Amino acid sequence: MKLLLEHAHVEGIRYYDTYRKHGGYRSVEKAFKMTPEEIVEEVKKSGLRGRGGAGFPTGMKWSFLAKPEGVPRHLVCNADESEPGTFKDRYLMEFIPHLLVEGLIVSSFALGSNATYIYIRGEYAWIVDILEQAIAEARNNGWLGKNILGTGFDCEIYVQRGGGAYICGEETALIESLEGKRGNPRIKPPFPAIQGVWMRPTVVNNVETLAAVVPIINMGGDEYAKIGVGRSTGTKLLSVCGNVKKPGIYEIDMTQSVEEFIFSDEYCGGIANGKKLKACIPGGSSVPILPANLLLKTAKGETRTMSYESLSDGGFATGSMMGSGGFIVFDEDQCVVRHTMTLARFYNHESCGQCSPCREGTGWMYKILKNIEYGKGKMSDIDLLWDIQRKIEGNTICPLGDAAAWPVAAAIRHFRDEFEWHVLNPEESQKRNYGLAHYADPIHIPATA
Amino acid sequence: MSEQQNFKVTIDNITIEVPAGTTILNAARMIGGEVTPPAMCYYSKLEGSGGKCRTCLVEVSKGSEKDPRPMPKLVASCRTTVMDGMEVKNITSEKVLDARKGVVEMLLINHPLDCPICDQAGECHLQDLSYEHGASGTRYEFDRRTFEKEDIGDYISLHMTRCILCYRCVYTADQLTNKREHGILDRGDHAEISTLLGKSLDNEFIGNVIDVCPVGALTDKTFRFKNRVWFTKPVDAHRDCPTCSGKVRLWMRGDEVFRVTARKDKWGEVEEWICNDCRFHKKETKDWVIEGPSKIDRHSVISQGHYVNTEKPHVLIDKVIGKQPKLLLDIHKVSDVNRRDVDLSKIEGPAHSDDFKKNQ
Ligand SMILES: Cc1cc2nc3c(=O)[nH]c(=O)nc-3n(C[C@H](O)[C@H](O)[C@H](O)COP(=O)(O)O)c2cc1C
Ligand code: SF4
Ligand code: SF4
Ligand code: FES
Repeated sequence: MKLLLEHAHVEGIRYYDTYRKHGGYRSVEKAFKMTPEEIVEEVKKSGLRGRGGAGFPTGMKWSFLAKPEGVPRHLVCNADESEPGTFKDRYLMEFIPHLLVEGLIVSSFALGSNATYIYIRGEYAWIVDILEQAIAEARNNGWLGKNILGTGFDCEIYVQRGGGAYICGEETALIESLEGKRGNPRIKPPFPAIQGVWMRPTVVNNVETLAAVVPIINMGGDEYAKIGVGRSTGTKLLSVCGNVKKPGIYEIDMTQSVEEFIFSDEYCGGIANGKKLKACIPGGSSVPILPANLLLKTAKGETRTMSYESLSDGGFATGSMMGSGGFIVFDEDQCVVRHTMTLARFYNHESCGQCSPCREGTGWMYKILKNIEYGKGKMSDIDLLWDIQRKIEGNTICPLGDAAAWPVAAAIRHFRDEFEWHVLNPEESQKRNYGLAHYADPIHIPATA
Repeated sequence: MSEQQNFKVTIDNITIEVPAGTTILNAARMIGGEVTPPAMCYYSKLEGSGGKCRTCLVEVSKGSEKDPRPMPKLVASCRTTVMDGMEVKNITSEKVLDARKGVVEMLLINHPLDCPICDQAGECHLQDLSYEHGASGTRYEFDRRTFEKEDIGDYISLHMTRCILCYRCVYTADQLTNKREHGILDRGDHAEISTLLGKSLDNEFIGNVIDVCPVGALTDKTFRFKNRVWFTKPVDAHRDCPTCSGKVRLWMRGDEVFRVTARKDKWGEVEEWICNDCRFHKKETKDWVIEGPSKIDRHSVISQGHYVNTEKPHVLIDKVIGKQPKLLLDIHKVSDVNRRDVDLSKIEGPAHSDDFKKNQ
């Protein structure tokens, strides 16, 4: 089932004429015949959940937008995409930029935003040009500017490049950065829906979320909601990387089992080089890692599927999250300790440094993990790590603290023996990997809470 | 306009009525005593401050009368406003005490602990915090963070290793001067206070950053290593100043003025900002009209030796736990040095342990 990537491989789809020929901008025509409230209602009916990571219902977010008299409102597209393992927005923007522009026009109309911003990750420099060209084409064809299609609605889309900080993907840090300030997350409340960019009511949505508005308007919210399963409606883009035969971007309707997704030729094509599946992070670096046995089946022994609900089945004790859709697969040759250390280094480097637990705790965890990885760890370090992540989680301003704590917690929770092996075999651990151990065995529920 | 609305909030079993819009921290300050969470970054006089250090985290066990659900996470009391019927747990919550201990540990792992050579010692909020909430040892086994030393001018010394990144000095410069010349560069645990290209800070109100800094990161260069604060005597004084209110606190030894600061309230916050001229250039008694000894919290080490005008701490523990705690020992009864009848300020020259014996 393809909604977003339906025409992704059409030659020249990056350009306006081809895009328009394949049904592009129909949703704008349709939307302009509706009232903004009706559009919000359709998005609500679609059951669309934010694709940026938290999975918050988009229609609901839109209906929270404050509408004080005489105060401009803004829509901001979060294209900062910096989560390790996540590269789906890049694909959308690079190959079908007009889909995003189209979604932005409809959404801006629904929310009453006359100045809409795309805040794009600094490293995506070449995509800025692609987007700006698409915006220029859209304007030249009357889809942007003053009094669009004679509706009286004015809209401009501006592309703002970030400076390359992961934290600027957090919506309030993004807003600060967009305003030209240091990208520190704000303390909430007030939420952006009340006071966002320049203290004006603002909606921040992910690229994929806003692109999904196009098929929702085209087919109607009810029809869109029929795709998918349960509260996981529509289609979701996944960026797959790691030891699979066919890494890349996949659009799925979330009904597949995880096993089918990894092993069938239609999707990842199985583990590369004839190796075995060891573990997987299903939703970007921030979400808990799962060993193979808990990945394919839930703790209750049911088949795990690629939906929001099923991936999080069992909570953090035995489940994970859909997150931002960065699907990272590990084969038997990968070392969980080393991988956890890499992530800890990332979060240490990317913490904005405002709040003490995240600023200090991320660095501390990285240093301990480095010791363990390089054969200098102690048994007590594992418990210390556990305690540090616990002191960070939930006690910080923004979710980066949690995102730094969860991978460490999950690694210890499910792969404690691998950490212990590193401590007990400092020399051997420098030469070879721990391997598969029991991670592909029948499910065992870990003892650590 | 509707009439000012009052909200009822219960903090650690003590109920108080406060105006709508009051934060949990300020409501707790109105109650006073032990139920007040420690605040390392919030500063009531600085708009936008708070929320960062996380020492003031509290548990909201009941959201409000209307929506009694507890809040899922601990919240920063300095940035969370009370709701009618809210119930808050501070020292009665294990979760809070545990989290706070964690925060204190985080603040200390990279702190140099150079108190013996730090001018802030004796009036340092991090010292107080660690004393009350910290552990006795460290679990941190790595080198502490260091920074390249930066000279920020003739009046203020910057010791970046001691900074806890509370951002107070940044807000101060934003709100008191028309052009901020220092700020926080870089991010995460390598973030640092710095000026652009080693510029010196010389705005006429910039000296106030010294007073707002909770630690010894920003100290008075003109007082550098001159004396320990607890050997000097705080005296309130004023002068006719064309720039500021001229209401200051002099830190004296005999007739000598060692240091001039703003007056601080019982939460350690500046009452009225003062200008650089008063702070750095008026160091003679004749510059000032002396009002009398400052009020000092009896808990403070500064009260050591001169009990004149000390304030009795506000003890509420009996109300919080619902009974009188058993007092094992009153240090004031047995200590050789903490004696009410000895006023250090009356002693000529540096104090000596003999001074206490002599008076017996
Ligand atoms: C540290 C951090 C980084 C984030 N990075 C991104 C990002 O790169 N892209 C994104 O869309 N959302 C990111 N988010 C989530 C945003 O804060 C926000 O929830 C999202 O943009 C909302 O859009 P949605 O409702 O469409 O998902 C990040 C959040 C955090 C805490
Ligand atoms: S949790 Fe980390 S990244 Fe988020 S505000 Fe605090 S220090 Fe900054
Ligand atoms: S220098 Fe002092 S006031 Fe400024 S951020 Fe550091 S600790 Fe806070
Ligand atoms: S005083 Fe509240 S977070 Fe620092």
